[in-house]
Amino acid sequence: MSANVLTIRDLRVSFPGIAAVAGVDLAVRRGEVVALVGESGSGKTMIARSVLGLLPESATATGSVELAGTEVVGAGEAELDALRGTRAAMVFQEPQTALNPVRTVGWQLAEALRAHGVRSRRAARERAAELLELVGIPEPRRRLRYYPHQLSGGQKQRVVIALALSGEPDLLLADEPTTALDVTVQAQILALLADLRDRLGVAVLLVTHNMGVVAELADRVVVLHHGRIVERRAVSELFARPATDYTRDLLASVPRLAEGGVPAPRREDTGEAVLELAEVSVVYPGKRGRPALRAVHGVSLAVRPGEVVGLVGESGSGKTTVGRAAVGLVPVSAGRVRLGGRDLAALSRAELRAARRGLAMVHQDPAAALDPRFTVGESIAEPLLIHGAAVGTRVADLLTAVRLPEAYADRRPGELSGGQRQRVALARALALAPRLVIADEPTSALDVSVQADVLDLFDELRRELGFGCLFISHDLGVVDRVADRVAVLRDGELLELGSPGEVFTAPRHDYTRALLEAVPRVPVRA
Amino acid sequence: MTAVQDPPVAVPVAAPDVRDDVGVGVPRGRWFAALLRGRGLVGTVFVGVVVLAGLLAPVLAPYSPLQQIPGANLLPPDAAHWLGTDEVNRDVLSRVLYGTRVDLLVLVTAVPLGAVTGSLVGLLSSLSTASDVVAQRVFDILLAFPVLILGIALAAVAGPGLTTVILVIALAEIPIYGRLLRGAALRVREMPYVEAATVVGAGRWWVLRRHVLPNAIEPVGVQVTVSLAVAVFVEGAMSFIGIGIRPPDPSLGSIIADSVTALDANPGLALGPLAVVTALVLGFLLMAQALAAGRRT
Repeated sequence: MSANVLTIRDLRVSFPGIAAVAGVDLAVRRGEVVALVGESGSGKTMIARSVLGLLPESATATGSVELAGTEVVGAGEAELDALRGTRAAMVFQEPQTALNPVRTVGWQLAEALRAHGVRSRRAARERAAELLELVGIPEPRRRLRYYPHQLSGGQKQRVVIALALSGEPDLLLADEPTTALDVTVQAQILALLADLRDRLGVAVLLVTHNMGVVAELADRVVVLHHGRIVERRAVSELFARPATDYTRDLLASVPRLAEGGVPAPRREDTGEAVLELAEVSVVYPGKRGRPALRAVHGVSLAVRPGEVVGLVGESGSGKTTVGRAAVGLVPVSAGRVRLGGRDLAALSRAELRAARRGLAMVHQDPAAALDPRFTVGESIAEPLLIHGAAVGTRVADLLTAVRLPEAYADRRPGELSGGQRQRVALARALALAPRLVIADEPTSALDVSVQADVLDLFDELRRELGFGCLFISHDLGVVDRVADRVAVLRDGELLELGSPGEVFTAPRHDYTRALLEAVPRVPVRA
Repeated sequence: MTAVQDPPVAVPVAAPDVRDDVGVGVPRGRWFAALLRGRGLVGTVFVGVVVLAGLLAPVLAPYSPLQQIPGANLLPPDAAHWLGTDEVNRDVLSRVLYGTRVDLLVLVTAVPLGAVTGSLVGLLSSLSTASDVVAQRVFDILLAFPVLILGIALAAVAGPGLTTVILVIALAEIPIYGRLLRGAALRVREMPYVEAATVVGAGRWWVLRRHVLPNAIEPVGVQVTVSLAVAVFVEGAMSFIGIGIRPPDPSLGSIIADSVTALDANPGLALGPLAVVTALVLGFLLMAQALAAGRRT
């Protein structure tokens, strides 16, 4: 037998009418990390799933997938069961849903171990504790009795990895294992995967769209586009000399932090602030005897016309709450929010509605940001109708402004791609020529190349229309690219506020430094 | 088999990527298409036949439902009387056809009445916490009574009759639709697209009318077919125990009640109305299932 853990030959996966994977050859050796990268729809997830025979029912696979000497394509369920977990195991993207919320971590691990033939309860428990220790969870014995909700996101992902390791597989299939995690946690999980590879010699097939993650962890990279391999190289070569235009575009569209370079000239402060937060605190009252949750504490910042203020922080840092408080969706418990000079708390409901005419919001999830029942045109026209403004040719103009064909007005969100939907959301936000836009992670659900397009568009429109913007994101690269000033939040408190040049190249706070160091970097080409 | 030519390569829009399963938007106007195929079609045919029979009762019925035919006492089914005659010499087929007509009248008034009232209460009460609490507790009380107990109580107060039957059915449906719409309101209100509308200045009314209501229409459609099936049953049961349609007016329930003592002489007395009730209940439930399944795919 060869040293290959996994050999894929001429794999084709097709759905009625379309091919998701069109002839892919791929081999993974022991102790090697191979990254499959590509945009959504490139077939990378389908390849990973076909290794364990986990394709959707409507899919048909042809070709050959050889896992540890056994042919998987066309294998029966019984044969597949013997392979699953012991030859290859899956690490899923969302640790929240990969664990059963009503069972303890120990129970779930023991169940997996018993499925792999560990007989006694005591032995399973012992082994479960060992596994938790292996994935770097402190006090493993105590943690066995924990339920998933008692663990942090990173710890949950470690448990998911421990579950995958329970059958001592030769190959881990990691499908976007860190996409749902904060950068600092992501760095830890990547380190863990690298460590497991070194210590246990497991191979990893890493499915990701994040080039930074690839650079950090992978040995070899396979770039997929429309179900075909466009390039396969060692990591260092790929980043140094991408052979195809597609890879070059993919790499170029990754937003990076300016690394020690001269900070780009930023705009001057002009005019009165469109949004002013003064010592704003938001406290969610505790329910049923639980202590109140202080989401935001004493945050002061201002957004001037035409200025983009980036708000960064990990999940739970209160950045979304700041955005919601700024437009009156969440009541503030202390401090003042001034929109265009008017105090939000002093407005009546009707006045508030009128004041919101100059506001707009762009959300993270393009799937939920548009009413599935509205056509694109209806969605874009909605703000106009709310304020009784004439619609006329405005919808067509706005579609043109966000670089979409006018004919899209009759389509429904379900017929659009994620990037197109986000453009529509942007068009809707701009319908009333707002003075302030709150953008809450507007590009984090998009592929890098699409993200780059949307950010370019956003920048152009901002220059044209001159709206101020509070730009919330966990992606420091994105913020560095669009923001004039950056605010760093942790646990609801504002740690630093300054130009991206200052904050990202000479952070004053340890936390900011830790955040910066955790960002996986794409090597810059010479 | 393996001589596969390259099929057209996936376009990003229809990508089979699992995380991209956002196709929630069923094209408008097509959701009832489920009624025209498979089990939905079977249900539609069952219901359609009964509705036609009811509508055409004056044409189809060989006799008047109240006409007493001399010498025709409890005759078993034969060529002249397809379902035989009852103990006061009336043609059972004619009575079943007219009874079906009454049944349909109850359905088309009571169910929409309950659905519209319940939906409105559910929508409006969701506007404030206080009204929400009050409405929910009232719904709890209504749901605590089995429908027939509610019917008996109401008949004791208002007297038996067509109006009482309609009222009981409508009353029993109100909490169901109230909960359905309230659930939709709570769910849709949290959606980013509603937040986006609120931030540009949409009021609560706007959100209810433009977002909540359209998004609740489909589940309401499914519920209506279920309610129709329940209503058939309730009307039959109330007339059966004598608190529904008053004799001598024909109704399916009272014909079945009459048959209990005369089953050996004329089995047609029970078979006719039972067939109609079965066709309606089965038909509506099949339609409900088809609609619900159509929503999921």
